[in-house]
Amino acid sequence: MGAMGAAAGAWLARPMMPLARAVPAGRVAVGTCREYGPEVTGTLARMFDQLGGLEGLVRGKTVAVKLNLTGDATGRLGYLPTEITHWVHPQVIGATVQLLGQAGAARIRLLESPMSTSEPLEEFMLQANWEPRDFESAAPRVEFENTNYLGYAKKYSRFWVPGGGLMFKGYDLNHSYEDCDVFVSVAKLKEHVTAGVTLSMKNCFGITPCTIYGDDSPLDEPSLAPRGGRGPFHEGNRLPSKSAPPAVHAVASKDPGYRVPRVVADLVASRPVHLAVIDGIHSMAGGEGPWCDKVRHVQPGLLVAGTNCVATDAVCTALMGFDPMADRGTPPFETCDSTLRLAEQLGVGTRDLSRIEVLGTPIAEARFNFRQS
Amino acid sequence: MDVDRNWLPMKWPCGPLEIARRNKSASASAGIRDTLQAWARPSALELLKGTPVNCLIVDWADGGPEDSAQQQALKPLLETGRGMGLSFVAKIALKGDAGVSVAAARAAGLSAVMLENASGLSFELPVIGQFPRDKAAWETASTIFSATENVWPGLNLQTMNGDTALAGPTGIPWVNSNAWFSLLAREMAPGKTLWLDFDPPASSNLLHPAAYTLAVSDSHAYGSRWIISLDDQLRAALAKGNSQAKGVWEKLCESAAFFEEHKEWQAFKSQGILAIVSDFRGDNAYLGGEVLNLLNRRQVQFRILERAKSLPALEGLKAILWLDHDTPGAEEHAQLLAFVQQGGLVIAAAYWGTADVKPTEKDPSLRYRLYNVGKGQIAVAEEGFQDPYQVAVDTHLLVSRRNDLVRLYNPETTNCHSSGESVSPHKGKRLVQVLNYSSEPVASVALWVNDRMESARFWQFGAVEAHSIMGRPALRGTEFDLPPLSVYCALEFEGTNL
Repeated sequence: MGAMGAAAGAWLARPMMPLARAVPAGRVAVGTCREYGPEVTGTLARMFDQLGGLEGLVRGKTVAVKLNLTGDATGRLGYLPTEITHWVHPQVIGATVQLLGQAGAARIRLLESPMSTSEPLEEFMLQANWEPRDFESAAPRVEFENTNYLGYAKKYSRFWVPGGGLMFKGYDLNHSYEDCDVFVSVAKLKEHVTAGVTLSMKNCFGITPCTIYGDDSPLDEPSLAPRGGRGPFHEGNRLPSKSAPPAVHAVASKDPGYRVPRVVADLVASRPVHLAVIDGIHSMAGGEGPWCDKVRHVQPGLLVAGTNCVATDAVCTALMGFDPMADRGTPPFETCDSTLRLAEQLGVGTRDLSRIEVLGTPIAEARFNFRQS
Repeated sequence: MDVDRNWLPMKWPCGPLEIARRNKSASASAGIRDTLQAWARPSALELLKGTPVNCLIVDWADGGPEDSAQQQALKPLLETGRGMGLSFVAKIALKGDAGVSVAAARAAGLSAVMLENASGLSFELPVIGQFPRDKAAWETASTIFSATENVWPGLNLQTMNGDTALAGPTGIPWVNSNAWFSLLAREMAPGKTLWLDFDPPASSNLLHPAAYTLAVSDSHAYGSRWIISLDDQLRAALAKGNSQAKGVWEKLCESAAFFEEHKEWQAFKSQGILAIVSDFRGDNAYLGGEVLNLLNRRQVQFRILERAKSLPALEGLKAILWLDHDTPGAEEHAQLLAFVQQGGLVIAAAYWGTADVKPTEKDPSLRYRLYNVGKGQIAVAEEGFQDPYQVAVDTHLLVSRRNDLVRLYNPETTNCHSSGESVSPHKGKRLVQVLNYSSEPVASVALWVNDRMESARFWQFGAVEAHSIMGRPALRGTEFDLPPLSVYCALEFEGTNL
């Protein structure tokens, strides 16, 4: 394992890291890209160069890439394929994999926790009528793993939250999130009914296995296969399996708008994101998936990338027509706390645009107002 | 004299036998008695004019004191019906000798009798043998045979929360369907016609046309025929000329007429690159039936091969699920090994391949040992076949969705079946039928088929002619955006060329 993986391992040894450290600022690249096609690779390559290039980050390293493939593989908004509305598009994934490979990544592992199943991730992709072999051929060594259960390991990896956590003191995750040197979050530019927005940080909500954090996971030990959604996080209707690290407070709010942003902030604090890539070429407005009321297809024509997930998500939030400094009661956080603020408080990054260097297309030029589109 | 396979059967409960039966079960209200009497009158047959229903199943004898009165009461009905070109089948529910009752039926001009346990007996009229589906007597199935203990097709009411369908472990709503049994019957009793005997749920209010058109569709789309059976409320309302009831009846008849107009589809073969092999008897019957049902619910297209017959040429197959616990016989063994060595996949509960092969693991979520034999593999379930649901899931994944023939997007409560002139989806005419198991229409359903084609001929009930719908190129095939779907639609393809 390389240096970054060792850093992740350090969290295991030091579960109560103090919060008093400087909040990292960041550089975020914004690219305009009207359609999926060959231009995606060129645009992303230019953006990664603007960030300083991928080589220093990934050469010789194992890179874990968390994809955003929320919901089931056959549910669509109208007749539109999932990748046009609520899943990251395979061309964005393929281009990212290709560029990581070209930058010298030794091993690229595509990860996701598909809803309610332990089936191979490739099969989940095939169900959406994707071709996983396209990703395998985009770089020398590409692997897949479904992280919604134990997977290939003998035990779960434990990630303590620095400072003790907001909702849980730590999280037990599939080994893939520890057995990597670099962690990349490839997400979609979307609103979220519970969390206001879902971007590179909220994407990490899906790194938690439903064998432990599922609605029907056993009380004591993880189940073999994932069971249900993440009700223990959303509503706090029950605790995760007792084998996992405990909740911070014995009695906590049952409000999903309180709980979900805190779980997300915990997760990105305990499992740092090294590179965030946001697919905003096509997307949906009004919610995170076709199961939400009043959602509609939108075409912002944007790609965003950054080396700090809070800064990247702050820029994305601004690009969507919102104020990243907003908090509960103000759009897009009408009914929830701001994950941006919570992650900032945990020292993960800044949401203050004045401290973020935005490269490429300026926000004012690229802004696509999700509420007025 | 033989039965007519063009008969479209309908139960015609009426007269003293049914009234006595209802009295015994305390379900005979005055209204029901009135209806049963009304339906015994020849005038009731007016309902059938202009419909495809041409065969009525009437209660004839059950060994009770009402038998004689029943047969007397039916005379006017039979006479009028024969004048209208209708055929009548006498349902005889006797534990002892049915000879006298059969002779009476023949004398009264009935065309056939329906009997349980009729094998080996000779009567003066053709017999339609009837058996419970879990005691299927395949060897003795008559030209037309009937199975009982079927389910009323639709959403499983036990998995409903108000108007919302709860998902099963597959993430898709549970539905009740007899499709798997119809498919099994086509293999186990080839060349014969299955009549599915099932009645509307007693507690339901089925004055909704979708419930009946689905009962027709779930049978006919899979090659069998439903013995049309109306619930008490509908029959009472029809007897009184209720306009809503007439509307339900007309929709039912429209769906039945549709399938009569497309009889050639009944000869189409199920398509699939996966074959399910079992004897489907005794201890193997339950697992076999459940696996067929669950694979069908996953939209997995398969062919069924009965072990008792010699395995046919395995051409066109990529995988075989060997369901039975016992190992193949010498001839089967050689055939299966050759299939594997040429690149096929056999999924089994125990290993019976060559001795010198060590297993590998494929994926930790699949608890199978994989033996590489020649160009193919034998996948062996580590704990045998225990849970039919898991067998169906694992089979789908081992074969891989890469080999799916069809797939529905936004499937909700729908399912589909691919059949054609050939077992290969790429030869000759191909048909994909899509059924909706909810009484509510579904919207934005898209059908993906593993073939390149520009368009399809799209059929719905009530349409005299198909209209063309355009396909959209998709990975490994074509997608078709289906219009809002009430109960049933069919897409016909010709000259496919993937």
